[in-house]
Amino acid sequence: MNVSDLSAPPRGRGLLIPLLLALLVFVGLPAMLAGFDRGYFYQIANLALIFILLSASMHLVTGVAGLLHLGHAAFYGVGAYTAALLSTKFGLGFTVTLPLSGVVAALIAFLVALPTMRLVSIYFAVATLAIGQMLYLVMLNWVEFTKGPNGIIVTKGLELFGFSLSGRLATYYTVATVVALCVLAIGRLSHSYYGNALRSIREDDQCADAMGVSTARLKMEAFTLSAFFAGVAGSLWAHMTGYISPGDFKFSESILILAMVVVGGLGSLPGAVIGALLLILLPEGLRAFGDFRNIMVGLVMFLSILLLPKGLLGEVSALQLARRQLGAAWRNTVKGEGIGWR
Amino acid sequence: MTHLLDIRNVSRRFGGVLAVNDVTGHVDEGELVGLIGPNGAGKTTLFNLISGFTPLSSGTVSFDGRTISGLKTNQVARLGISRTFQNLRVFPNMSVFDNVSVGAVGALPQGALGALFGSLAGGGARSAEISRRTWEALEAVGLTHVAGELAANLPYGQRKYLEIARALAMQPRFLILDEPAAGLNDTETRALADFIKRLHGTGLTIMLVEHDMTLVMSICQRILVLASGRKIADGPPDAIRRDPAVLEAYLGVDA
Repeated sequence: MNVSDLSAPPRGRGLLIPLLLALLVFVGLPAMLAGFDRGYFYQIANLALIFILLSASMHLVTGVAGLLHLGHAAFYGVGAYTAALLSTKFGLGFTVTLPLSGVVAALIAFLVALPTMRLVSIYFAVATLAIGQMLYLVMLNWVEFTKGPNGIIVTKGLELFGFSLSGRLATYYTVATVVALCVLAIGRLSHSYYGNALRSIREDDQCADAMGVSTARLKMEAFTLSAFFAGVAGSLWAHMTGYISPGDFKFSESILILAMVVVGGLGSLPGAVIGALLLILLPEGLRAFGDFRNIMVGLVMFLSILLLPKGLLGEVSALQLARRQLGAAWRNTVKGEGIGWR
Repeated sequence: MTHLLDIRNVSRRFGGVLAVNDVTGHVDEGELVGLIGPNGAGKTTLFNLISGFTPLSSGTVSFDGRTISGLKTNQVARLGISRTFQNLRVFPNMSVFDNVSVGAVGALPQGALGALFGSLAGGGARSAEISRRTWEALEAVGLTHVAGELAANLPYGQRKYLEIARALAMQPRFLILDEPAAGLNDTETRALADFIKRLHGTGLTIMLVEHDMTLVMSICQRILVLASGRKIADGPPDAIRRDPAVLEAYLGVDA
């Protein structure tokens, strides 16, 4: 078979699912929210979106690159505190703090990754746990700088170059747009040959090294990029809620994000999104059951791992879906199915 | 003329054991060289020293006139030295195509920017090149029909070829095969011998470590023999077959 014959990707049907998703997020949901007109539903929708971003960014480092990261929420916190401090001390608005929060979180991640990246498996996990705790304790105890357990009130809401976007619907649209763009970027990273290189590190890093993959550099990149996206999520959170405190970024939040990625399917980006939706919406939906709801959420998680250990939407199906539907055109086909990456 | 691969006085000590002891040898461009020796002779260790997997205790290894001892494994690989493993090391949870693509990814510039910004950062052309190289490597080993399968689902024999395809996707100048015939039956071994000869016919320089003497004797142009970490012979198959030192090492008799 000649490669060039196969290099023309069949196009056309690839845009259906992304289009439907975009319609749902940017037309259907806001219409429903505006119809119900209760602040509570907006809050839930925004919270779900922020956790989708956190879960998707952790998917990159834990699901794809296979680095068990137990301190992700701390980088979310670094982003939130960066936004809050820049905004209260220097009067900077959301337009500026959003990218800066990502950059500061990424910078700190890069610095702590320098000595940590040599560690493997469980040792790496413990190191990230320690890093997460250190950052959390800084937020909690450096009272002059972070106001400690009292938290920080962020008076500036969401805005774009001075235009206020702090109305309910505008806030939702802003959060949804930022999250959608970030998830799109994470999708480009994980559904590509770059993603393949990260997966090879997860599967067998020595072997990947022998194939010429710069394992140390790519692990570093994945860790830093995931912190960047977590930082962006932190900035959204700070400006959206108007109040942050260290409790939002403690260890249990890291575990919650990890649970989203695992329940959804390690290595699967759509899985990470589904996992985030499930673990945010389920406890809210079960509010009527009072404290029993935590038991019920735990039961759902337990059963999903027991019955679907590869996740609600596992990596293999997720990659097939991405290749077939999400616009990632392929170069080569076997029996009409795409197998490569754009 | 400089050799493609030049090994000079190379030693490697593991605690009190000298696994490789003052070995000197070379491989020229376009050669098909065999490396044999009894179990524990240091063959795989020597391979690991060449590919940068294990650091040298002393000596130097140079490739194409450039010293490569001390470089990282992935740097050595990017200079054009590619390998397979004695104990199969495919990426089990990745498709056959994705497995092979890793070799092509490794040989080309890497980084997140290309994936993020596509053609704006040179990523589009690179992806096309990776797809092309991957497909060519799959065609070379005849695995295109299972390209979409998970590597874990392949039978043993096909996984061997998958490893070779992954190494070929790097478009190496020098290919190291570590016991490619291990675990294969006679028919499969003969097919493998033909395949290696065909690869060599394309101009690729190949070194293979092998226990199967018939395979090595039938296809290699030159054979290096290691015993207890030392090189004891180096020559064409006919000379090796009659070499008293080799007979002694293998059969334990005084010649």
